[in-house]
Amino acid sequence: MKTATFLAWITLGAAAFGWTEHFTFENIATPPGMDPQVGAMDRMPDGRIAVAFHRGEVMFYNPADGSWKLFATGLQEPLGMLAEADGSVLVMQRAELTRLKDTDGDGSADEYETVFDDFGMSGNYHEFAYGPARDAEGNLFIVLGVASYYAPMAEEIRGEFSEIGQVDFKGMTSAETWEKNMNAAGRMYARVKWRGWVLKISPDGKTMEPYASGFRSPNGIGFDAKGRLLITDNQGDWRPTSPLYDVRQGGFYGHPASLVWQKGWNGGDPRLMDVAKLDAMQVPAAGLFPQGELANSPTWPVIIPQGAFPEGMAGQTVIGEMNQPNLVRVLDDEVRGVFQTALVPMFDGSPLGLGNNRMVFGEDGSMYVGKTALSWPGSMGITRIKWNRKPFLSLEKIKALPEGFSLRFSQPLDASTLKTLTVKRHTYQYHEAYGAPKKNEELLEVAGATLSEDGMTVTLVIGALEEKYLHLIDMTGLLSKEGGKILGNKAWYHVVKAPE
Amino acid sequence: MKPILLTLTFALSVASAAPDGKQLFTTNCSACHMLDQMVVGPSLVEMRSLYDGKPDDFVKWSIAPQKKRLGAIEMPSQAHIGEEGLRAIYSHVMEVSKGVLEKQQDKGDPYAAAPMHLARPQVQRIFMPDASPASIAVALDDTNSLCWDAGTCRLRYAWTGGFIDGFPYWKGNGSSLATVLGTVKYTEQASPFGKDALVKFLGYKVKDGLPVFRYKVGAYQVTEAYSPVGGSSGFVRSFTVVTTAPLILDFPAQSGVSITADKGKLDGGKLSLTPSEAAAFNLTFSLK
Repeated sequence: MKTATFLAWITLGAAAFGWTEHFTFENIATPPGMDPQVGAMDRMPDGRIAVAFHRGEVMFYNPADGSWKLFATGLQEPLGMLAEADGSVLVMQRAELTRLKDTDGDGSADEYETVFDDFGMSGNYHEFAYGPARDAEGNLFIVLGVASYYAPMAEEIRGEFSEIGQVDFKGMTSAETWEKNMNAAGRMYARVKWRGWVLKISPDGKTMEPYASGFRSPNGIGFDAKGRLLITDNQGDWRPTSPLYDVRQGGFYGHPASLVWQKGWNGGDPRLMDVAKLDAMQVPAAGLFPQGELANSPTWPVIIPQGAFPEGMAGQTVIGEMNQPNLVRVLDDEVRGVFQTALVPMFDGSPLGLGNNRMVFGEDGSMYVGKTALSWPGSMGITRIKWNRKPFLSLEKIKALPEGFSLRFSQPLDASTLKTLTVKRHTYQYHEAYGAPKKNEELLEVAGATLSEDGMTVTLVIGALEEKYLHLIDMTGLLSKEGGKILGNKAWYHVVKAPE
Repeated sequence: MKPILLTLTFALSVASAAPDGKQLFTTNCSACHMLDQMVVGPSLVEMRSLYDGKPDDFVKWSIAPQKKRLGAIEMPSQAHIGEEGLRAIYSHVMEVSKGVLEKQQDKGDPYAAAPMHLARPQVQRIFMPDASPASIAVALDDTNSLCWDAGTCRLRYAWTGGFIDGFPYWKGNGSSLATVLGTVKYTEQASPFGKDALVKFLGYKVKDGLPVFRYKVGAYQVTEAYSPVGGSSGFVRSFTVVTTAPLILDFPAQSGVSITADKGKLDGGKLSLTPSEAAAFNLTFSLK
């Protein structure tokens, strides 16, 4: 037995090494007796952590004394939250974007104001609603999930029904004949308004603009430090692996169900369209999470504030993940005006665990991770992660070069370990089927790996980069000059545009 | 040290030659299958009880799955993994589930006694039967409850007995409706303001736990508050309507329901109000 345990420790050790030497992981006790699945989080102006739970409670956690205060109840599946300067809270729930206000100052909400509800609901369980994210002008962005063919629509729906599709209203709403109709309905469908769309809502909630289409199960929306609207989506039909998008007005982001609501749409049932035509229409993902290796169900993006984590990570985006015991750090790059990223695991092999649905930073730089499952593999409750301020080796920046990559690290490297760097790449087939295996996977020859004078930047030469390929740079064998191992040992760079 | 290093080298070389069952499982299976409890699909423990010693059956099923369980979804074919890969997954599943017991799933709602569920009165948005997907369940007191629909801006029905069982909805991802725990005693087929009027829901205020709904219907701006009658079955409905013209509202007669109004004239299921009466009036619904 002893040998086996030791062996496991060695083999796992490479990836899992050291997070706990630099971060503490602590479970926060949620109020007793209640369902502790977390749907939304934000930090209130007074520093308390606002948490919305699965069954609709909004509560404030006071980090100073560990107490909880009930603010609102009775919401339906809150999946996004924005604390406002005056102490009110915007919450996205299934049916609407709601502003919770405490008008009498007793510490709990007495007004549940409907800010925006002008979108359809088919009654299908998979129509989750996410957001809001607020831009610099105060506009609010929400994104609506599409329905799943594992259930029909309800007989009574909210809003208009789209006649575009192979199954009519009766067929879409009849449980008795659903098994016969489900395949023709499409694995994920959008027969009520704005499912699969990002909507831009004016600050006062009065006007709405359909902003971008093509989403499936976009359980993450937020602006990054540079003001880009980032949205994650989940692997599934038309999603070979989970993507990260830099969302721009008018863009189509790959899942065709939503196209029936495009103004003047005359392309018929989008899922019957020529796949090459759809492929040409879609905006490529700024990042890809390889299924099973980095993330299967990525979640919310948040910005790492100054001082919370090591200096080089300040301003970077970190994204949650439901299905793998890690978070994901986003490294920005821009090539010929196109934003593209490398995604790096964070807290892999730590006690973090599954279900990492929402994150928020406290005033002291602690990161609160709220967990959920909702019948999928996951977890529940809240984990607080705090950096102990001891520095460690990590990848801080990545830049695509005509012949490879430039990698900037947080500490000087041991030059003798550069030879352990490996690079692989693969692509994916865009198709209607659920997920896709890796395609054209190849190990690339590393022609050169040279270190800058300060020992912190590696120029990695592998030859020309391939567009629409996910390049995996494996840094597991790297050591710092002091002999420290790297935390976040792999980087998956999605080359949308190759430098010229 | 030496034997350990040798074992390690051996383990690594084997791993690089054959498909990695653990990795394949993580990539292809872990989104739906957990070790010791059913989530989307059966647990690894259950797979072991079904397929221990039957790798061929496991591979066959994975390539051509069928619908087997009531209420569960059918697994998509895993043919893309290939037979060798599926066999590696099989070995992984058998290995990690060895000696593990299925977690006992409590059938009832483990959070039924949460303070928020026991609170009376209370307002809870949830999928309800016989209403639009934007419905709101309201418990007025221990025995009187109703379903108000934010999609159509109207009362759908009221019942007596208990409140709701939300567990069918909450236990998973929302694919079931809440259940009414009582007997529906009053049902409204249309808005009292007219069947085809356009509506816009504006939200609600909560006063001592009771809701005051705000909405627009046709040309009217309305608030509609609910409270219990106290001591008997039924509810009080308090309206405010801004109007410059007389208002006529429909409350068709229903057996077992008596309706009284404190303003205007209620006759033959129609309540006639002057603009000043419409500004604030109460209706009491007594249920048998």
